[in-house]
Amino acid sequence: MHRRSSQLTIAVVALILGILVVIQLRSEAGGSALAQLSSQDLTVLVANLNARNDQLRSESSSLQEELATLTANQSRGDVSVDEITADLGRVRAYAGLDPVAGPGVMITVNGPIDGAGVEELFNELRNAGAEAMFIADIRVVTGVVVTGTPGAAQVDGVALTDGFDIDAIGAPDKLTGSLTRSGGVIAQLAATQPDVVVTVTPVDRIEEPATTRTLVPAHGHPRL
Amino acid sequence: MTVMRRIRAIPSWQVTLGVALLALGFLIAAQLASEGPRVRYTTQERTPLVETENELQTQQDGLKAQILDLRAKVQTIETQGEGSADLVRQLNAQLQVARISGGLIALTGTGIVLQLEDSETPVPPDGSESDYLVGSRDIRLVVEQLWGAGAEAIAVNGERITPTSAIIDVGTSLLVNSAYLAPPYQVTALGAPDLYDRLSKAQGFIDFLHARSAGYGIRVSVAEPATVDVPAFVGTVTLRYSRPIASPSGGPSAAPSASPGGG
Repeated sequence: MHRRSSQLTIAVVALILGILVVIQLRSEAGGSALAQLSSQDLTVLVANLNARNDQLRSESSSLQEELATLTANQSRGDVSVDEITADLGRVRAYAGLDPVAGPGVMITVNGPIDGAGVEELFNELRNAGAEAMFIADIRVVTGVVVTGTPGAAQVDGVALTDGFDIDAIGAPDKLTGSLTRSGGVIAQLAATQPDVVVTVTPVDRIEEPATTRTLVPAHGHPRL
Repeated sequence: MTVMRRIRAIPSWQVTLGVALLALGFLIAAQLASEGPRVRYTTQERTPLVETENELQTQQDGLKAQILDLRAKVQTIETQGEGSADLVRQLNAQLQVARISGGLIALTGTGIVLQLEDSETPVPPDGSESDYLVGSRDIRLVVEQLWGAGAEAIAVNGERITPTSAIIDVGTSLLVNSAYLAPPYQVTALGAPDLYDRLSKAQGFIDFLHARSAGYGIRVSVAEPATVDVPAFVGTVTLRYSRPIASPSGGPSAAPSASPGGG
């Protein structure tokens, strides 16, 4: 009787041990990183996911419409030149291969800013939905970065002179609000680089040139 | 002698139980310790938020797959008319170039993979925990340095970096292209075979390693596989505010529409 109860005790302990090992291994294997986020962070995350999903739904329905038109044309034996041309224009504008115009903001930067500070402004503009950006006669596309120490910032080897502008196309009120919010990027720059003065001006129409860069990689090819 | 005799008198089941309880205690301690570096929140109001997040993430994965499928179908039909006219053939060739330029095509080629992980160094009492975690600034800096070293395409944990990609912090994790990414972060860069040589000589990258790895113990590792794969950007490429124009007349062409902000 005594022997049986001891075996039972060991079995129970072994069971708990097994469960704990599994839990431990699962949590070590990554688990849910969400468990590390506060309610406030989760709210931000949910808002961002909602916004992205809305964009994806919109893109999906555009593609469905395009596919329906292409299919209808094909079944009639027509060549879809208009649709392909429209698709081409859309993608070229997005990639920065064509000049574009639209409303947005003009940001004037005075003082000895560094490259990282300008990149912070770019990142905030992108986060606020900027569709195209332009600095020192250069369209900001993939691969364009601003580097350099305070007062010696440069983009693609071109020195940024004091009082340079960054132009961004997007919703002017959203771009302005995002840049100038309390604790936002401009407030942070004012704290870390106090000699730099950044002014944001909403603009009705900005024209941006196409990039002069070659964006097709020389060391890669489409994955089939 | 008496002690030895008493030890020998302990029944074997008690020894087994003792060892098992010791392992149990060890596991409980390990579990608690593993929750140390990044704070865990377990309040009840979070549960619906976590459920919503999981649901939205599942929806996002489905939408991404749907878009990739639709793009492939559109591309197939567009190229089926190829033989019918030179114009269509030319347009399709231009479209392929534009799609590659915009990051809408998955690529494979030579390159490197950098992995950034949180520090394992204990945070000193007067230190800030965030300094010991990989944040958006670290990833942005690495991406910028990679572009500077000649990278031709970059992705972070499977999210392609495009002209409109923002990298921001959300708590102790990141949002890239509004997609939620958790550590460790893998930055995959496609470029020339000497991409890492160029990166490791870049002063900005050397400063980064000095400040973040040597300074706070952020772990940075590099792999140079024979080939790297960079996925396509899956998101909207439809511009809402920008319209293509023939050529710009030079800078902002209209008067400011409202009073200036900022400062």
